[in-house]
This record gives sequence, C-alpha cells and structure tokens, in this order.
Amino acid sequence: MRVLSDATRRRFGLLMGAGLVAPLVVRKAAAHDGPHMIEAGIEGFAFVPDRLEIRAGDTVRWTNHDIAPHTATDKAGGWDTGRIAKGESAEVTFEAPGAYTVFCRYHPNMVAEIVVEAT
Amino acid sequence: MIRQTMFAVALAAVTPAIAQDQMNDLQIAHTAYTAGQLDIRYAHLALAISENDAVRAFAETMIRDHTAVNESAVALITELNVTPEDNDLSRALVEGAAAKRAEFMALSGNDFDCAYAANELGYHQVVNQTVEGKFIPWATVEPLKALLSDALVTFKVHEGHAEEMVAGLQCAS
Repeated sequence: MRVLSDATRRRFGLLMGAGLVAPLVVRKAAAHDGPHMIEAGIEGFAFVPDRLEIRAGDTVRWTNHDIAPHTATDKAGGWDTGRIAKGESAEVTFEAPGAYTVFCRYHPNMVAEIVVEAT
Repeated sequence: MIRQTMFAVALAAVTPAIAQDQMNDLQIAHTAYTAGQLDIRYAHLALAISENDAVRAFAETMIRDHTAVNESAVALITELNVTPEDNDLSRALVEGAAAKRAEFMALSGNDFDCAYAANELGYHQVVNQTVEGKFIPWATVEPLKALLSDALVTFKVHEGHAEEMVAGLQCAS
C-alpha cells in the first residue's frame, strides 16, 4: 500500500491543473487496461461513494469538500492519508487485493468500503 | 433528556438577543467566530481536566473542526476586506462562557465530564438553531451565507457526537 507524500500530492495537483493526467481519471475500470486514478470525495461528513470496487494497482484520490479536516484511514492500520484539509486531496495506491474498511480518524462514524480485485 | 433540555434553555437565556434583534452581516460574522473560539476554549479545558477517552477525543475534534471553520471565516473576512462588528450577543456569549468555565474549573472526574458533555450538547443545540433559523436567513452576503451553511453541517455532526458522548457517560439525572 502506498500513501503519496504531500510533495507528490502537490505535483499531482499541478499535473491535474495542466490537464496532463486527466485521461487517467475514471470512476471504475471496466476491464484491466492498466492502473487507474479513481476520484472520490469527502462531503457532508461522508465518503462519496461509500463503496468502491477497483483493481490492484489502482489509486484512489479523495478530495475533501468539507470545512472540517478529515482522513481516509485503513481500519486495519495498513495505511493512513493523514489530515486532508478543505479543498485538498490525498491518494492511496492499492497493490494488494482484498477488502478494506476506510474510516476518518477524526470522525469515526464516517466509513466506506473498498474492494480491490486482482488484475 | 430533561436535564439536557433544561440546560439548553438556560444557555438560551444567556443569549436573549438571539430571538429578538436582527443582526447585520458583520455582527453575524463576529458572533459566529466568537462562538467557535469559546467552544475551543471549553475543549482546551476538557483536555486539561478530563481523563475520559471519549471526552478527550470529542474535545480534540472540537479544537480541530472549529479552528478550521474559523480559519475559513478569517479567510473570507480578509477577502472581503471587512471588520467583524462586536455586538451584544457576542458579549453575552463571552460573559456566559467565562462563568461556565469557572464552574467547570471547580469540577473533576466524572462530574466534570458530565458537565462538559451536557454543556457541549446544549451549546451546539442553541448554536445550530441560531445559525439555521436566524444567521443564515439574515445573512445578505452570499459567501457568508455559504460559509454558515457549510459550518452548520459540521456543527450538526458535533451535536450528534455530543449526544453520543452524553449517552455514554454515567451521569446523575
């Protein structure tokens, strides 16, 4: 599991701003045609969507739309995005198949599920 | 439940201007910011006194979230180049909170936890009623109205957390 650093997040943001990686942004891969960037949100104290089905190697990028900061954290303790402030994003690349329960460390009632299928 | 309701009524009694005098945008901004700062001060007191994990976690959330909301408020104020206006309601809130903190500082252990939890529930109930029923309808500047609406989402979650905190404590009825 790989959590991208702040610097990586910023670089990614710059690339996004330039539209250079926009073609990578998809909701869900219908077939395994390489790693994908899955856009997800945090809004109204909820992960949106609250369930994702992705492929091993895909990256989920959470953008926080709330005023309050949040985290996306593996309930099993495998990874943690750290604080995501309003308007900021954080990414996690899922390399191992499995089911992951995601929660916000600051607001533990916020939960989501990510199912990672083998490629 | 009766105790919580009575507390909310008592808290509301400290702020008589809420239901009476319409406030302008600058007064609303000042009062909303002040209310957030006061809740942050309550939270710091809780972290200094309480040894209850749930109470401490709630207090940390209050500091984190209200700081974020107030930082957004400061950013908006800076962007609009305006100065929030002190007013009777802000002053009443400050005076009421000072008295409440004095009460809290005489408490410890479960007595403190129960008093803090009940205060947080009542405080958020009154604040949410005021923001939703008064401040948002009264606000005339769209960015302020949007900020208050976003903040209300956060405050309502806090109210729910406060309810859970109260329910999880063993407090005398």
